[in-house]
Amino acid sequence: MNAPLASARRLSFAYPGGELPALSDVSLELEPGELALVLGRSGSGKSTLLRALAGLVPHFHGGRFSGSVAVAGLDTRSTAPAELAGTVATLFQDPEDQIVFERVASEVSFGPENLGLRPTEVARRVASSLAAVGAAHLLGRSTRDLSGGELQRVCLASALALEPQLLLLDEPTSQLDPECAEAFLGLARELARERGIAVVLSEQRPTLPLEICDRVLFLERGRLLLDAPRDKAIAWLEENEPSFVDPIEAAPAHDGEPGATICELEGIGYAYRSGTSVLENVSLELRRGEIVALAGPNGSGKTTLAKLACGLLELQEGRVVLRGRAGYLSQDPGRYVVCERAVDEVALGIDGDLPRARRWLAELGLGERERRHPRDLSSGERERLGLAAVLATEPDLLVLDEPTRGVDPERKRELGEMLRAGSPGRATLLVSHDLAFARSVADRVVSLAEVGVPVGV
Amino acid sequence: MRPSAALALLGACVVAALVATHPLTLAVLAAVLLVLLLRAPWRRARLFLLGIAVSSFGLFLIFPLTAHEGSHPLWNGPILPGPIGSIDVTREELATGAVQTLRLATVALAFALWALMLDHDRLVREIRFARRSVLTVALATRLIPTLERDAAGFVEALRGRGVVVEGLRGRSRLLAPLVASSLERALTLAESMEARGYGRPGRAPVERLPFSQRERAALACSLLLVVSSLLWL
Repeated sequence: MNAPLASARRLSFAYPGGELPALSDVSLELEPGELALVLGRSGSGKSTLLRALAGLVPHFHGGRFSGSVAVAGLDTRSTAPAELAGTVATLFQDPEDQIVFERVASEVSFGPENLGLRPTEVARRVASSLAAVGAAHLLGRSTRDLSGGELQRVCLASALALEPQLLLLDEPTSQLDPECAEAFLGLARELARERGIAVVLSEQRPTLPLEICDRVLFLERGRLLLDAPRDKAIAWLEENEPSFVDPIEAAPAHDGEPGATICELEGIGYAYRSGTSVLENVSLELRRGEIVALAGPNGSGKTTLAKLACGLLELQEGRVVLRGRAGYLSQDPGRYVVCERAVDEVALGIDGDLPRARRWLAELGLGERERRHPRDLSSGERERLGLAAVLATEPDLLVLDEPTRGVDPERKRELGEMLRAGSPGRATLLVSHDLAFARSVADRVVSLAEVGVPVGV
Repeated sequence: MRPSAALALLGACVVAALVATHPLTLAVLAAVLLVLLLRAPWRRARLFLLGIAVSSFGLFLIFPLTAHEGSHPLWNGPILPGPIGSIDVTREELATGAVQTLRLATVALAFALWALMLDHDRLVREIRFARRSVLTVALATRLIPTLERDAAGFVEALRGRGVVVEGLRGRSRLLAPLVASSLERALTLAESMEARGYGRPGRAPVERLPFSQRERAALACSLLLVVSSLLWL
């Protein structure tokens, strides 16, 4: 029998200062050409498992490591991640944080150059990997001018340029609209089937990945609860973790008519400084008691419209009438924390009212974390802290920009329930690529076409 | 012009600015660099120009008040306790202040040109020594627009909670979170670079193209500027 491409044997790992192990007694094997989907709640160890397979755990992060991981016969404890680079490639969650160079060509050639390849071979790999991800046209572009979807493709091309045998994708579609996400996942499947690359994919929106994967790994608190082929895994998930496979039900209709109009947007037009028009003649009315979801492809102006509704952007064309106070939860709110304690972060927007801040922290399941530094919280907890800070201001118009990014299905369900429960007292505008979540929560979904014209209400 | 030749010129300007003592030399250097900087995209250049103007003007104001030199007083102020002592302004202090201001402005303009006009990607690939240091400085330079974006993100996130960030004091409160945020970014970037083989021995050989006549002239000018600033300026 052939040796597996990659294997983990009784792998346990705890981050430095971590109270609990991030991975506990994990054993698995990966074969060439298979696409393995890693599922689990936030903080279950998915990213850590990917980092262990790349050798970044423990080399880059330190911590307590036991057991062994081998990739293509190389033990990751005795082989540095940089030396594994020709064998393993990793695509991290946030493409913006991975960009080293200003031009796409330099960015994609960075990996092959580090491998010590001749310039002609580097050029060949750059061209072929960009072509493989459908981004050959981006070769001469500046990385600064690319959209989130384009950046993600460039990062994938950078990984492919290493011509790896094992490709690790950590929530690669979290910033992509459904169409881009589908194309991206299709590409991952193609790479596995046609090039024989073993692909390990961690995802929080499992519906589509579950359709294309060969095998599912399910982690809970660092333990591998499930390692099974796709069909068996779906049956297991239906029985044990239904939130990962349940069809999303449409939101139940609210009792009675929506209340008074809180925000009125009429004939909105907006263009960036470059002159690119992003919104043209858009009108939207948001009433107390209703939840409106704003969907559309990357770059269609959803966030711009949401910011205009809150008064965070200066109006260029049209009219916005806001009756009451607006609260806005930005994308990636966990990054924008300013205080030393979680409770102070929430109290900041409510004149230092600590009892009220504590109530909201408890409401969001962060009651025991009130004294912790916000940057010591897990990414999921930081997202919830940001939400608590906005909800505590009790706005008449609540605007949430991609609130489910990186949030596991169980937390999404809780978030949906919370939004529904609080919706009678306010108007809610939800900007989301996560159409399943949007449909499960919103009373109506408004889609913006590419130039920001509403196409379906 | 290839970036390594442009870098040599900028480096020579910085050396000349630090060594030269004649205000005219410094004024000419600053003026030339300013004219070059005005060719950069205005949206990006204005932040640097604002920073240079504020820091230079600040230095020109503060220097005469804190220095103690010269025998031609123009204004006599009170005597403060502690190391500051007497607050007065002399003609000599103004002259030295002007030289220091021009020096600071020249160095800052050279940095702005490095940040805005140089092709860092090509520079990192071209450079034959201290490549890691050049890459580190290039990445640090790229942090400036990232910090700018992050600062806007902080202000927006706070405004979304009804917190208005106003004035120098309000903005200064964002400094620590901004640094923390950029450190987090830097860690992710470092992890991503290592995963792409950065630091492993045997990096790809660089294609070595001969310098053009213009580039040779630039290198000669750089050398001449350094030597003349050391000897005569």
